[in-house]
Amino acid sequence: METRGVRVRHALIVVWLLAMIIFVYIPSVCITLASLTSSRYFTFPIPKWGLDWWQKTLSSIEIHQILETSIMIAAVVTVIAVVLAFFGALAFARYDWKGRSIYQKLVLLPIFFPQSVLGLALLLWFNALGLQLSWQTAVFAHLVWIVPVVTLVIAIQVYSFDPALEEAAFDLGATRLQVLREVTIPVLMPGIFSGSLFAFLLSWGNFPLSLFTTGADTTVPEYLYAKMVAGYTPGVPVLGTIATIGAIVFLIGGYLVMLALNRRRSAA
Amino acid sequence: MTARTEGATAGGGVGFLRVPAGFRAALPVILFLLVGFAAPLLAVIGFSFMPARTFGFTGQPTLENYITIFESTSYISLLWSLGLALATVLILILISYPVAYGLVRVFGRWSTLVTLLFVIPLFVSENVRLYGWLLFLIKNGVLLGTLKTVFGIEAESMLFTTGAILLGMVYVYLPYMLFPLTLGISMVPNDAREAASDLGASRWQVFKEVELPLSMPGLVIGCLLTFVLAVGAIAEYKVLGGQQVIPITHDIEIAFTYAQNWPLGAALSVLLMLIVGVLVMIALRRFDLDKFLGRR
Amino acid sequence: MAAGDGAILLLKGLTKIFAGHRAVDAIDLQIREGEMFTIVGPSGSGKTTLLRMLAGMETPTSGDIILRGQRINDIPANRRPTCMVFQSLALFPHKDVGDNIEFSLKIRGVPKAERKQRALELMRLLRLPDHYYDRAVTRISGGERQRVALARALAFDPEILFFDEPLSALDYKLRKTLEKELKDIHRETKKTFVYITHSLEEAMVMSDRIGVMRDGRLVQIGTPQEIYTEPNSKFVSEFVGDVNVLSVSVLPSGKLKAAQIPHEMVAPATMNGVKSAGFLVVRPEFLRFLDAPGDADNHVVGRLYNEYALGSRIQYQVRVGELVFVLEKLRHEAFAGGLDQEVLIGWDAVNTIVVPDR
Repeated sequence: METRGVRVRHALIVVWLLAMIIFVYIPSVCITLASLTSSRYFTFPIPKWGLDWWQKTLSSIEIHQILETSIMIAAVVTVIAVVLAFFGALAFARYDWKGRSIYQKLVLLPIFFPQSVLGLALLLWFNALGLQLSWQTAVFAHLVWIVPVVTLVIAIQVYSFDPALEEAAFDLGATRLQVLREVTIPVLMPGIFSGSLFAFLLSWGNFPLSLFTTGADTTVPEYLYAKMVAGYTPGVPVLGTIATIGAIVFLIGGYLVMLALNRRRSAA
Repeated sequence: MTARTEGATAGGGVGFLRVPAGFRAALPVILFLLVGFAAPLLAVIGFSFMPARTFGFTGQPTLENYITIFESTSYISLLWSLGLALATVLILILISYPVAYGLVRVFGRWSTLVTLLFVIPLFVSENVRLYGWLLFLIKNGVLLGTLKTVFGIEAESMLFTTGAILLGMVYVYLPYMLFPLTLGISMVPNDAREAASDLGASRWQVFKEVELPLSMPGLVIGCLLTFVLAVGAIAEYKVLGGQQVIPITHDIEIAFTYAQNWPLGAALSVLLMLIVGVLVMIALRRFDLDKFLGRR
Repeated sequence: MAAGDGAILLLKGLTKIFAGHRAVDAIDLQIREGEMFTIVGPSGSGKTTLLRMLAGMETPTSGDIILRGQRINDIPANRRPTCMVFQSLALFPHKDVGDNIEFSLKIRGVPKAERKQRALELMRLLRLPDHYYDRAVTRISGGERQRVALARALAFDPEILFFDEPLSALDYKLRKTLEKELKDIHRETKKTFVYITHSLEEAMVMSDRIGVMRDGRLVQIGTPQEIYTEPNSKFVSEFVGDVNVLSVSVLPSGKLKAAQIPHEMVAPATMNGVKSAGFLVVRPEFLRFLDAPGDADNHVVGRLYNEYALGSRIQYQVRVGELVFVLEKLRHEAFAGGLDQEVLIGWDAVNTIVVPDR
């Protein structure tokens, strides 16, 4: 019921929301500002604006190398995570089987686990196996955390999936593979798609797992951390801004693709 | 929820196909997590019983690492980690509840956009965002610089204080509280709320008797998730805290890196895992995941 | 009846507009102390919105709600002396049976012992066993949940009890049992009940009076008997159940003419103000098989197309060209002929009425 008390409460909630949104975006704004100064040290208000540091950063071969490593790790993680998590999500939410409840908890455990400790545990494990640390071991480390997350994301979609659809397709003569291709995957597509977005972006931004498992290879968050600890350089805000913008562009691009897919589906 | 079925397991399949479809689908993930999660943890546990400063499993098992921990000052780090994590959780409940409530009840069709706005920062590495706070809080930074030039106020920077660490943790773990809480609040049927009000309950009584207990699963998950993540936090202490407070994760990292004492680091990790594991087990023991995630 | 005379609830021009749509459109109604009043209408007729305004969960756009002479428009639900049984029942899933029933007493600060005693009294009234007191509401049957919801509302001791189709999710047999039980409870408690449903059949069983709602308006108010035998419109007559409705025009002679029937028909006494064109309503039980055309006021020749067993009765479908007639006989008076046979059917004018197209 829309009484005055309710309206006042709702107005307060909206004001609070706006405050929280500002809170959430303060760091990104600060980083962007810091990247636009042409002086060596950051002071605010900015004495002299300029794109000098962007130019320096973008032309650095080292930075290119790091961006490439980060993108490659994220891409490989995405592909593997989505395949594993797709079936994992079916087992999580679609089928009723004996070990399901234990399985569900097993999937949740890595999410409910301090990532820095997980990174160290993996370091120890790789060492025990005698593996050389490189971007491949980082992919493995990312997957330990990202596969469960993507499984949950897809599982949420699977919960709303009506198994009768699969049964109807079987009944109409489709083989197991045809059912998967013609019914299950297309119906679960939105979940698979948002799962891939999550996989890519979480890998792209991950720091605690990369820190202990990349060996000689370096990802963007690791590089930034090393520079931050070493002392101030405006290259850090520039690369930070690039990482942020990259994530936003990727997210918006994904959102647009999703919209287009939906439109095509409803138009068909 | 009655719609889940055994799946088409029959069809005269042989061997592997006779295994329940659910298990077949789960197998890759189970195998992967056994190799990638369970085995490393076992390795850590095993390592924690190895003699100090060794790098293999060949030594004589010993409890010396645990004895070292209890004789050292690591318990102070542990208490700091647990205390600040607890404070983070409490602050997060207070600041995210209104937003979560709004997402379910107030924002209507704006909810998707608001959700997106809170999701985006998740994908930017946390140390980048913490670095943004550093630039905001630092002397001559965005906050103090603005205060000085616009208002002529000279203030002390709050950087490198416990407050700054807390700010960083609240900031970084906000989405992990917000989204489970939103899911929890959306589980409260509007009918139950109206029925309580119709039966004479005041706004506060509706909250206490109906909304809070029915959204409890979301609150529990949110608290658990943020607590566990905050206990494992390290970047917040380093970027925003200077060396004011040393968390347990720092001790672990030192043991693994500078000190080159892996068994000691492993023993500290085991301690942390025990605390976190017991908490998660207790909270999730009787938790109906299907009901929580399956609701639309 | 003068305003307030025996009326507990008075509605004056009550209107609710949602985004330009008049969900409830200027309703005037008096509900009498102690009666069981049912509002019937198809989905989308505005009946739920009307009820939610009465219970205080929706604010009227205009008009007044007057409870015992006091305007209550602006009083929120938690301070109105009325109580509602929800369509979903809205039992609190985290509380057991006893705590659900006692909820309003707890809110008022009644001591635990007294609350429990009252809850047990109500459980006995509603034939719920005492040991259900500690049972989880998620672990009892549909009919039992129904009784808990009713007990919870009665514990509030409301001046008026509202019901929002609470029986609609139950199976037929249980629904029939509970309809009667509800009427018994009404008799027992002597409270005013306002009930909404989309089933006129349900309304007939329980109500003292019925209001039929369509597109936000009350199109007819009357006793179950009046609604059944004297519907004032095509809409109400069709809402009652299987019925034969024939589009007719009134001839200058006073007789009726329908397009597909060759001869003129004798008109009934009740014309509901129809002067030129309207609808002739013939209930299936008043249509009968004839041996000769002269055996009834009106007759028509058709073909027996199908028959349906309805338990104690049998329903026949007779086709006359494009027209379909249904008629019903008691089982022991079943028609002897076979399907596709030509049959002569007819009715007496006294058993019919003519209604306008509203």
